[in-house]
Amino acid sequence: MTIEQYAAPETLDELTRLLSGGNALIFAGGTDVMPQTRAGARQFQPYLINASRVAGLRGISREGARIRIGALTTVTDILESNLLSEHVPVLVEAADCFASGQVRNTATLGGNLCNASPAADLAIPLLLVDAELELSSNDNGAPSRRVVPISDFFVAPGKTVLKPTEILTRVIFDAPPSGFRARFIKFGTRPALDIAVVSVGVAGATANMVFAITRVAFGAAAPTPIRGKKTEELLEGRLLVDDTILAASSAAQKDVSPISDVRGSAWYRRELVRTLTERALHDVA
Amino acid sequence: MTVIEKQTLIGKAIPKLDGPKKVTGEARYVQDIELPRMLFAKILRSSRVHARIVRIDTSAARKLPGVHAVITAADTPGVPLGHGKDNPPLKSDKVRSLRDEVAAVAAESEDIAERALSLIEVDYEDLPAVFDPNAALLDDAPVIHESHPDNIPFTYEYSQGDVGQGERDSDVVIEDKFTLHFVTHCCMGVSGAVAQFDADDNLTVYSQTQVPFLYKKDIAPIIDVPPEKIRVIQPSIGGGFGSKLDIYPFEPICILLARATRRPVKLTFTREEEFLASPTRQPVELTLRSGVKKDGTLTFRDVATVHDNGAYTSWGATTPFVIMQTISSLYRVPHCSYRTTVVYTNNPYSGSFRGFGNLQATFAVESHMDKLAEAVAMDPLAFRLQNAQQPGETTPQGMVFRSCGLAECLTTAAERSGFVEKHARYSRYGRGQNGQGGPVKRGVGIASLLHVGGGAKIYRSDGCGTMLKIDDYGHVTVLTGASEIGQGSETVIAQFVAEELGLPISSISVVNDDSELTPWDVGVHASRTTFIAGNSAQRAARKAREKLLAAAATKLELSAEELDLREGNVTRADTGEALLELPRLIRSLHFAKKSEVVMTAEYYEPPSVPQDKEFKGDVSASYAFGTQVVELEVDTETGVIRIVKVTAAHDVGRVINSLGIQGQIEGGVAMGMGYAISEHLLVDEGVIQNPCFRDYKLVTAPEMPEIDMHFIETLDPEGPSGAKGVGEAPAICIAAAVVNAVYNATGTRFDSLPLTPERVLRRLKNHA
Repeated sequence: MTIEQYAAPETLDELTRLLSGGNALIFAGGTDVMPQTRAGARQFQPYLINASRVAGLRGISREGARIRIGALTTVTDILESNLLSEHVPVLVEAADCFASGQVRNTATLGGNLCNASPAADLAIPLLLVDAELELSSNDNGAPSRRVVPISDFFVAPGKTVLKPTEILTRVIFDAPPSGFRARFIKFGTRPALDIAVVSVGVAGATANMVFAITRVAFGAAAPTPIRGKKTEELLEGRLLVDDTILAASSAAQKDVSPISDVRGSAWYRRELVRTLTERALHDVA
Repeated sequence: MTVIEKQTLIGKAIPKLDGPKKVTGEARYVQDIELPRMLFAKILRSSRVHARIVRIDTSAARKLPGVHAVITAADTPGVPLGHGKDNPPLKSDKVRSLRDEVAAVAAESEDIAERALSLIEVDYEDLPAVFDPNAALLDDAPVIHESHPDNIPFTYEYSQGDVGQGERDSDVVIEDKFTLHFVTHCCMGVSGAVAQFDADDNLTVYSQTQVPFLYKKDIAPIIDVPPEKIRVIQPSIGGGFGSKLDIYPFEPICILLARATRRPVKLTFTREEEFLASPTRQPVELTLRSGVKKDGTLTFRDVATVHDNGAYTSWGATTPFVIMQTISSLYRVPHCSYRTTVVYTNNPYSGSFRGFGNLQATFAVESHMDKLAEAVAMDPLAFRLQNAQQPGETTPQGMVFRSCGLAECLTTAAERSGFVEKHARYSRYGRGQNGQGGPVKRGVGIASLLHVGGGAKIYRSDGCGTMLKIDDYGHVTVLTGASEIGQGSETVIAQFVAEELGLPISSISVVNDDSELTPWDVGVHASRTTFIAGNSAQRAARKAREKLLAAAATKLELSAEELDLREGNVTRADTGEALLELPRLIRSLHFAKKSEVVMTAEYYEPPSVPQDKEFKGDVSASYAFGTQVVELEVDTETGVIRIVKVTAAHDVGRVINSLGIQGQIEGGVAMGMGYAISEHLLVDEGVIQNPCFRDYKLVTAPEMPEIDMHFIETLDPEGPSGAKGVGEAPAICIAAAVVNAVYNATGTRFDSLPLTPERVLRRLKNHA
């Protein structure tokens, strides 16, 4: 497919109007779109929309209990954010595992989520904080918005609930309460510039003097980044003693449905899910 | 009397002369060459692994605006290339692997050329294919080349002594099968060429070849241009590692397109194409039987190997030459036999790659050395020392070790790493038998190597020419046949010349990139350049020195023996007192009644000899040795191996440029580590599954361990200033040291590579 028209709108309104015609491919940092189109894994559409100049979509802010991150915020922005380091260090840890410095400087949060890789590094910590995603569009000339929880956002590898006329504009979540502890472990076969073979996130908080796990999430272990519901159920309200951790890491294997590919077999991914869950739980216990 | 100490450049840390240009981007690679009216070429490759070509229709491609030529086999002289002369640049009758070149286009842009490729129609008739070399040996296996109905292009047999006797002498005999995998060079500079014919049909090729003079002879019949009409210019080469030793189809294709269009044509690979269509290191299945007496004396080795040649024959087929050296001569073994069968398959074909078979051989031999040591209850170091080669030895294969630092390499690497103590301690605790808790186990492993260090006489000459001139300001231009492929030869050659002429290194320019100017050389291979080209340059410089001193002696009314050249001056030899500036001396020669220029030439031929029909003979002028100790951690729950430290002791003869050797060792360790734990070109039924750096895992900076290097100086009697080659050696033995260390840590011994986390965990958990 050849590109018929290229646009670089400067306002969200302009962008959503362009989108409302359909047949468009949005790119921001371009770190997924460019290699994918070059490799033939993704087709260009007649309209190529460069979203990176749209005002107001880059930045991290706090309003009351809510933390808002614009979709154009780069991975480096996340890495360097004092606000995030203070409230959700697990998101910063994930950014610190993300590709290389050059890629982080241009890759955006929105792009990482919309690319919908099962291995998306930033999806895991956002699953741990129940993030909500703001999707914007243009409804017959009027700006329109809807909000979906991140756990409902991913549909399949490369597929999300985004309609062709929508763009992800913001990621919003409650600043975790004090006593929140979380851990993200990305397993690649080398320490940098790698795609996760498996990633695991766990998060918990202290209630009634007991620290218990509330959220578990897995990357590259299912068709999309997922919550580990069975593991969460098992851990709910329980002290993180060795037996519980062992039982949880076995339960984790029931939450996942990994595939075999060049980065690892399904067997190996299941092994890693168990080991990394165990290690992550020990780390926060 | 004041005596001024003579300064020397030998052994100093000299930054590479081509460094600043490469760091700033000023260096021009083949990708940077742009000529007026230049066209761009692309190659259509096979979409089948083994198929008859029924029809090729290029008519639609030819009609595309901007396309200047489309060629198929019918437009070529039809002469095959490569070491086996079995690889036509464009295929006519059938394709034998997925990389096979079927047609090519020259157009006004790469985009147009690519679109033209998509318009070429090829009808194939699939043929049964074979990917396992053992299966290719069966009677009913598909035939890859009709000229070889048995699929065997080459066999090799070597023997010394009487293996039967060796077996009878043994108290312990062990046998194992080792399986080595596909890896590829991953040169940072991808392949490419630019070709241009002038009005007189003279051809200029901007080529990455590391053998420019053999290249002219080899490519001439394929393109039907006489060698004397070919000029080879070598722009900066972004890595060779042996891959540029042979000619591959893309170069004749580029040249044939230039002739068809009468315009300059440039052909460069994408990175994906580089993975798909470059040679590989040869996969080898090696069965090794070894024997030992209770007292630790080696008795025999019996080796059979099957080599996956791939669909065509490049230099990979000749790696047995090097494999048998390590089998026969790394340690003293009285009885040896070695048999190789090289087998055609429909896989990618293998080329020459740093170490040239020695990584495979050393992996097997040094794994067995540890097993044999354990069988006779000896420490791995003591066992190796007992069987190590010594200086002065002539091995049963006929190699003469005029210098040999193996024992010193072994003891240095072992002592500096604390090997003996750690090996004993980790084998007790590391396996978790004695209370070392936690999933991460530590281990230490040792391995040594033997490699040619002074060339290899596989052609009638293994020589190199040098021409040298000094201008009237004291600046020296050295024209050498030796190519610079990033290994640092330019700097070492300048050092030798500067040293003889008493000049700073900045007074030397080295010209090494244009066959029109430079004298003959075999090429960059066999770790020969410092040794052979260094000897040649040093001798050319000595001739100039003698000429200058003789002229100065006349002028100063002293004898030449009383004079020296230091720091740009003619000086007294004894005191160092400056008597005459060198430029003044040279100008006085130019303006004399009987004028003269200072120009010298040298052709150095090493005293090595070709092997006889039984593969015996002193094939190199010098041999390099080394020992590496690896300390690592194995995470037994994830399979991850973290190499913590490498202690490397290498017999380098004599250090010429310490920075250069350091670079070779660091690069060799990275490359050898990749072979051992991470690099794997995944080939599934002839199809490469991971043609990108995302999934082909080169070792990256954070994985690099601490490297403790020791240069063992054995002062080789034939080497220039005592030096020997060190280019290939540092990559050779680390894989063996890694498996030995993993065994030390876990009690599990691996007989195949790479030790990627999943493969390690499968073995540790006995999961098939």
